[in-house]
Amino acid sequence: MTATAPATLESLLDVSGVTKRYPGVLAVDDVSLSLEAGQIVGLVGKNGAGKSTLIKIIAGAEHADEGHLELNGEPLELHRPHDATDAGLAFVHQDLQDVGDLSVAENVMMGLGYPRKMGLFVDWAELYRRATEPIARLEADIDPREPVGELSVAKQRLVMIARGLAQQAQLLVLDEPSASLTDEEIEHLFAAVRRLRDDGITVVYVSHRLEEIFELTERVIVMRNGQLVADEPTASLNRSLLISHITGHEHAQTATERRASRGVGSRPDTEVVLDVDGVSADTGVHDCSFDVRKGEILGLGGLVGSGRTEMVRVVFGADRRQEGSVRVHGQEIHGNHPAESMAAGLALLPEDRKTQGNIMDFSVRNNITLASLDRHRMRPRVPAPLPRSEKQAADRRIDRLSIATPHDRQLVRLLSGGNQQKVVIAKWLEQGADVLIFDEPTIGVDVDGKEEIYDIMEELAAEGKAVVFISSEFSELVGVCQRVLVLHEGRIVGELEGDEVTEPAIVEICYSQH
Amino acid sequence: MAETNTVPVPPGSPKGGSESSRLNFDPLGFISTYGVFITLVACIVIFSVLDSDFIEIDNLRTQLGLAAPLLMLSLGLTVVLAMGDFDLSIAGTLSACAAAIVVLIVNHDWPWGLAVLVGIAFGLGIGAINGLLVSYVEMPSFITTLATFLILLGVEYMISDGRNITGAADMPDLYRDLGIGKPEPFTEFTSPVWIAAGLAIILWLLMSKTELGRYMYAIGGNSEAARLSGINVKALRALGFVIVGFVAVVAAVSQTARTASSIPRVGISLLLSAYAAAFLGAAASRKGLFNVPGTVLGVIFLQAVQSGLTILGYDRDILDISRGSILVLAMLLTALGARRR
Repeated sequence: MTATAPATLESLLDVSGVTKRYPGVLAVDDVSLSLEAGQIVGLVGKNGAGKSTLIKIIAGAEHADEGHLELNGEPLELHRPHDATDAGLAFVHQDLQDVGDLSVAENVMMGLGYPRKMGLFVDWAELYRRATEPIARLEADIDPREPVGELSVAKQRLVMIARGLAQQAQLLVLDEPSASLTDEEIEHLFAAVRRLRDDGITVVYVSHRLEEIFELTERVIVMRNGQLVADEPTASLNRSLLISHITGHEHAQTATERRASRGVGSRPDTEVVLDVDGVSADTGVHDCSFDVRKGEILGLGGLVGSGRTEMVRVVFGADRRQEGSVRVHGQEIHGNHPAESMAAGLALLPEDRKTQGNIMDFSVRNNITLASLDRHRMRPRVPAPLPRSEKQAADRRIDRLSIATPHDRQLVRLLSGGNQQKVVIAKWLEQGADVLIFDEPTIGVDVDGKEEIYDIMEELAAEGKAVVFISSEFSELVGVCQRVLVLHEGRIVGELEGDEVTEPAIVEICYSQH
Repeated sequence: MAETNTVPVPPGSPKGGSESSRLNFDPLGFISTYGVFITLVACIVIFSVLDSDFIEIDNLRTQLGLAAPLLMLSLGLTVVLAMGDFDLSIAGTLSACAAAIVVLIVNHDWPWGLAVLVGIAFGLGIGAINGLLVSYVEMPSFITTLATFLILLGVEYMISDGRNITGAADMPDLYRDLGIGKPEPFTEFTSPVWIAAGLAIILWLLMSKTELGRYMYAIGGNSEAARLSGINVKALRALGFVIVGFVAVVAAVSQTARTASSIPRVGISLLLSAYAAAFLGAAASRKGLFNVPGTVLGVIFLQAVQSGLTILGYDRDILDISRGSILVLAMLLTALGARRR
């Protein structure tokens, strides 16, 4: 286990002067680095910093305009993605790329050719046996016969890693592998990654969760604006130093500092705008009661799978409610009709912006106005939107939320993750709800983007709206929320307010439930 | 590290070096964007050179008249396709309605207006059933409408006994006018052309200019995001099938009024062409979305090829092969562009 600076002689992969331009953007700007065998290297940077492009170049999915790659001292020519696989480079992307209906073994051995009987039929016994090997190396408890689609997200990621191992990978790139994993699953993932490191495999770990970078990696590479701005042993860094590398700003606040500096206290003594009473649903929500006041930011904490998303979906009417009542401004909502909830003043910004938040093939403008289209009519009684009016509204939101897009007609698909999230926010600000439920709005959003989203929530509260904020990063809740409810297995099991809201207190409630 | 950053390494990609292509003319990009147009124009030019009858105004009139029912069907399909659904039953509705209307008028001496009203009610009913099953019961649209299609073919057979029903003499002139008449101030084209054009304009307005159209495209893009944005996804998807049902009846009326007969399975031959037209239209659009002007273009395209080859004296076999090949060519040009994006 070495944690020395780069440029040792036994480097596995050398990247020299790699540059990649897209129209109008210098995505990767003269990046040189060298990866040694048997190291866990963190790759961090804001969205759009060039991490993904760099990885795509190493994977052979994009061609560098300048510079070259060397593997074990030999020039590496990548023409097709398969070339990278053959060279021993494996990539596990955030969006799972397995075939859900096929078995674990078929997924692990995919692309390697399945063993045959009589040259024609798949030799299943042999296939399962061969697939067991890489799975065992990860010490994962996975049956190679099971369809991958029935595994948890965590196990599916391990299957993808096992595929890399089956391909005899020397270098494994994990892109945001911990997204939507529980703490326990993350620990297991870490253990697996460390075992691979000990076997001499180099792991590049891409994540926005800095805690993980510190816990797992030996070396950190930071990218900003396409350039490599830091390449240091993890031990020589601390959190605020790392954040300043990532953002280019001098000082980074901790959550507690933020809470103090923003004067986040107890919840305001105002009227109740959202009143949830005894709500249960068969999606795993049990007897949840709470209220939110005007101007309040209420945090919902809990581990992944604790039922927060399920609860707010039922409250909003995205899923059917079995029991209980929901009132907005005292008006009862019958449920299961998002349109009804919206009319009453309730908005849900869903967890997954790609599958639930945005119409990815719509323009920024059309997404922003989608939930409030009837406000742009040519005449009050003619249900035809006036493009000019829509453009004005969209441009105003793009400007106020500083959404990075060349123009309002750009397809949302082409924006970065953080900006896609801002488009979802813009849509609901435009819709003008009084109670806004943000479900994990900062997932996959970089440090600056997160801060912008906190600011938006605080502005909303200051304007007299009520905000519900779900996050699995408890420090976020501490930095922003006056009050935090903690959920476990679909029940509200704890409530913290004012000075009680600290990270240890939230963690304590989460883990005292087992 | 050896600094080699000024040496551009072409990593095996001869096309990769055109970063500043925004300003340069990009032939492949042009072809892919306008692939369908280019093929259409090429066909028209070739046919016109080979036989000058092709661009005669009389041929244009005839061809538009022939294409009108196809255009109507294609327009209806465009609406459901934009929402991500299929409707195969449209051909069944057309066939069954055509048979029913002709039988009612010719064999049972019904007033034509009443027969048409029954037909419309029938078409709307079929659309409502499809919509209910697909949208509210959440059955897959392809197999559901395939099933209703089969049922409707059976119904058509029951009505017509599988025979051609002709009755030019028994058909009132007013009804025939719906198929061959040239309405007074607009005597350039026959009624079906005007009806199809009107339908095209109405559906174009609906799809591109109204809130409903926006919502329909939103459903096609991501129905869950649309639902969570307060859009009544179920009702709109069901509405799509009802529109298709209505359009099928209008096509049935045009067709039977023109030929003064109902021909068994008349819808089937139109079905595949209607899908081809809608998909050609989507391929011709910059975003790859199903859209009304694109569908109109697709229909004109298919009809032009058919007419051109017929004028040149080719038989059915050559006709089908050419139509298929040209379709592949147009899609190929589009796919070439899509791959580079």
